[in-house]
Amino acid sequence: MISFEKVSKFILSEVSIHIPAGVTTGVIGVTGSGKTTLLKLACGLLQPERGSVYTLGREATIPSGRQTKLLPKELGVLFAHLPLLQPEESVRSNFQSRGLIYRMPKERFWREYHRLSERLGFAEFQQEKVQTLSLGQRRRAELGAVLLHQPKLLLLDEPTVGLDQNAKEALRSLLEEREADGLTTVITSHDMSDIAAVCGRIAVLNQGRLYAYGSRELLLKKYAPVDVMQLTLRSGVPNLEDLPVKSYAADNDKWMLIYDSNHITSAEILRTILTTCSVQEVSIHKPDLEDVLMRIEQEKTEVTEEQGKT
Amino acid sequence: MKNDTLHLAGVYTKTVMKSWFQYKVDAVLRSLAVFLREATGIIVIYFTLLKFDTLNGWNIYEMLFLFSLLFVTYGILIIFFTGLRDFGGTVRSGNFDRFILRPRGLLFQLIFCNADWFAAIGHGGLGIVLFVISAGKVGVVWNAATIVYYLLAIVGGVLIQGAIFLFLATLNIYLLETNSLKELFYWNMRKFAGYPISIFHKSIQVIMIYVVPFAFVNYFPAQYLLRKSDMAQYPDIFMYLTPLVGGGMYLLAYAFWRFSIRYYKSSGN
Repeated sequence: MISFEKVSKFILSEVSIHIPAGVTTGVIGVTGSGKTTLLKLACGLLQPERGSVYTLGREATIPSGRQTKLLPKELGVLFAHLPLLQPEESVRSNFQSRGLIYRMPKERFWREYHRLSERLGFAEFQQEKVQTLSLGQRRRAELGAVLLHQPKLLLLDEPTVGLDQNAKEALRSLLEEREADGLTTVITSHDMSDIAAVCGRIAVLNQGRLYAYGSRELLLKKYAPVDVMQLTLRSGVPNLEDLPVKSYAADNDKWMLIYDSNHITSAEILRTILTTCSVQEVSIHKPDLEDVLMRIEQEKTEVTEEQGKT
Repeated sequence: MKNDTLHLAGVYTKTVMKSWFQYKVDAVLRSLAVFLREATGIIVIYFTLLKFDTLNGWNIYEMLFLFSLLFVTYGILIIFFTGLRDFGGTVRSGNFDRFILRPRGLLFQLIFCNADWFAAIGHGGLGIVLFVISAGKVGVVWNAATIVYYLLAIVGGVLIQGAIFLFLATLNIYLLETNSLKELFYWNMRKFAGYPISIFHKSIQVIMIYVVPFAFVNYFPAQYLLRKSDMAQYPDIFMYLTPLVGGGMYLLAYAFWRFSIRYYKSSGN
């Protein structure tokens, strides 16, 4: 669906990635890591300095002439900094214009419009002018607008900025539904929890390089494999001698164990502890994507320090 | 569904109107302000020219006729070509990126999303007033042939200036900013075009005929209708070429646009 072959542009350097059809992929990275540049390359708004970009089976170049009628119809693109709706028009008339631009048959247009306005919750302010809406309201309408013509490929740059929890949940379920119908989505976001909830695959950009790419589970195992188990014991003392625990701390009946989930599972640890102790309460903290990014930043600092020494 | 282009043009026009009519008084005053601003310039020239009987054989009404062609064509021009005139701003605001990502022609969107109807009323209105004042006094015999010629000359004049805007907009893709070029090649040349080109130095005449051919916007069409003696220094064929020059220039500028648009780079984050 999207294929980058050794692409360099601005901060992006030698990025090669293949995003298959029908998958939702999150692109994470700190500010300035090249997330938006990657999306702009994917939709042809930017051309690579080196390498090639193929989207929907075609080289991602500026569509002109005949191509204009083919490529954008299959694309839904939302950039945080690009105006998508006419500010002096109401939400509803913006959608009507869009339906016309995308040549949607009336029946299909109204069916989609009503569905999206209910699901994303902009039905209640559909008659308001876009310029009078709050950021969150505008973003709901914009998300509806990019989904309206049922694109095959959706590129969303920071789509959850300004959205409340209900709207995020609505977006997540809409994307899941569309994914089941074959929609491919690429999302960039600063909010790791949003990405984690929606994306089957994650690409991590670090200083313009593709640092990691794979399923969420794979990334966590590779970059943040450390789990933390907290226990409150009723009786007994745990025997940790044979367990590959990285470290532990004890305060009377409260224990905290830190271990590498690649080496031992929580269930195995708990089973061993239960042989000598009675446990009143147990909680396990699993790392999230925020931890992955922290780990990457940490590695970067270590490499820089290492280079400083040599 | 294919024939919905006019409908969409109507929708875009309605949106542009709504945008202007957010501030109704300002919208009306804009037309008036443009009219008065340009009329003031003409009034100054009018009183200056009253001190002379003729300017290289052109009397005051013939000069006003020359000006009327310039204003009428510009009035029509900014309905269709404001988006190209202000292309740099459209790119900087991110709106051009938005156009690119829609399944409609780029020029179609640039034209209909930016039509400046109120300035058009100001410029076009002044052009019509000047035409009404001068047309009856310059000795033109208005018949079917001259009316058809006049209309074709207007179309050609609009296309010539539109081609200049389209060419400069295309250069914007490579140079990122072309305001100085626009000032130099359009606005300065347009100032010369208010007068018979025969009064200028040969080098300026060459520029106005062959480089930025404003002479075909008003001077040569006016010559066809007025037959002034200074036409003797130019080939007669020039009087008939305005529609061809307009069409040819526009096609060339359009080909340049089509070739160059693939090199467009989004303005960044």
